Amino acid sequence: MFRLQSSKVLAVEMTGDAVKAKNGSMVAYDGEMAFKKLSGGGEGIRGMVTRRLTGEQMTLMEVKGRGTCWFADRASEINLVGIQGDKLYVESSNLLATDGGLRTGTEFTGLRGASQGNGLFTTTVEGHGQAAIMSDGPAVVLRVSPQYPLTVDPGAYVAHQGNLRQSFQSGVTFRTLLGRAAARPSRCGSRGRTGVRAAERAEHDRGRRVRWPSGRSTRRWSRRR
Amino acid sequence: MAFREINAKMVEATVTPGQRLFSQRGAMLAYRGEVSFTPNTAGGQGGVMSMIGRRVADEDTPLMTVEGSGTVLFGHGGHHIQVIQLSGDTLYVEADRLLAFEGTLQQGTMFLGSQGGVMGMVRGQVSGQGLFTTTLKGHGAVAVMAHGGVIEIPITPQRPVHVDPQAYVAHHGEVRNKLSTALGWRDMVGRGSGEAFQLELSGSGAVYVQASEEKL
Repeated sequence: MFRLQSSKVLAVEMTGDAVKAKNGSMVAYDGEMAFKKLSGGGEGIRGMVTRRLTGEQMTLMEVKGRGTCWFADRASEINLVGIQGDKLYVESSNLLATDGGLRTGTEFTGLRGASQGNGLFTTTVEGHGQAAIMSDGPAVVLRVSPQYPLTVDPGAYVAHQGNLRQSFQSGVTFRTLLGRAAARPSRCGSRGRTGVRAAERAEHDRGRRVRWPSGRSTRRWSRRR
Repeated sequence: MAFREINAKMVEATVTPGQRLFSQRGAMLAYRGEVSFTPNTAGGQGGVMSMIGRRVADEDTPLMTVEGSGTVLFGHGGHHIQVIQLSGDTLYVEADRLLAFEGTLQQGTMFLGSQGGVMGMVRGQVSGQGLFTTTLKGHGAVAVMAHGGVIEIPITPQRPVHVDPQAYVAHHGEVRNKLSTALGWRDMVGRGSGEAFQLELSGSGAVYVQASEEKL
């Protein structure tokens, strides 16, 4: 059972079940707990190979036991997301914990991720249960409906859920390329658009930009400008 | 209560004549009234011997004495501040996490090796506490800094609490702490869960844990 102890600390009550959490994110626990690193993070050999190839490596651990376990990571704000049979798309570095029964996988995202150096792939979480995702600064939930497509800054995007179609919208012009644009080119040149088919929701962080996770894989090409 | 939390990162302290405060040097943000700040070369209370003790123990964070009558705002480095009220028990905290405390508290230095011998020293090294830690004893309030918010976890004799040494901030009460290791073959080959060392706190009291694994 996931519960927010404060906006930055996640408390999980466990009665013999398991949760998956980001490696090293445990700050305290009482009762009896066992920590085990999940090999590869995905399911089976195939998941492992995919993760290695895509660079979307999630260093996850499995926490199992009885008692309360508290998780936190670099004082990031934590948001609880309920998943009922649908799919949550989140950058692996922003995923703090999921119920043990949820499946995690890797999916191709396209240009949105690449424009922000997040790589071409993202992590998906599916099944029934809860997940805790992190954002730098409080996140807001923005609903997306077929009539009102939503455009978000890829740098402020955290995660999305539901049946959303994404297209990449670029504001790069000749002036931007010359460095004469009003805004910083990297910023205005990377307007992402979260287009929509069915009514669902997208989550995005309106405050500060999502920060660089420090342990970023160097294989992601677009970080080097 | 001498300290009032203005927001998560600032506290307001009330000083009245005869009731002095100690605070980390440079942590004053603003003040009202007739308040004087005197650098405290001794680094806290006690005589020359306790000053030498702190120097040797590397627990001599520059402190200043705050006296007079008025209100003072404290804050430092944008860190979150937690006010802890002590009523007769002892608070164990790292000296550089101390923002301010009331003069009614007895300040001391504790050698970690005295609790658990060699393992106590290892624990101090692993948790980044060093071999010594600062103790505050008596009745009064303490303002402690932490990276990210702080949560308080009660410790009861039936329920010992395990804490990540890097997220540990302070503890108070009759608490025994020891370093528990869960080193397995996985850690040896670099595939550990990142939770190989934990501080096990047992007894009765409370531990304060920050929402981050970063030092101040």
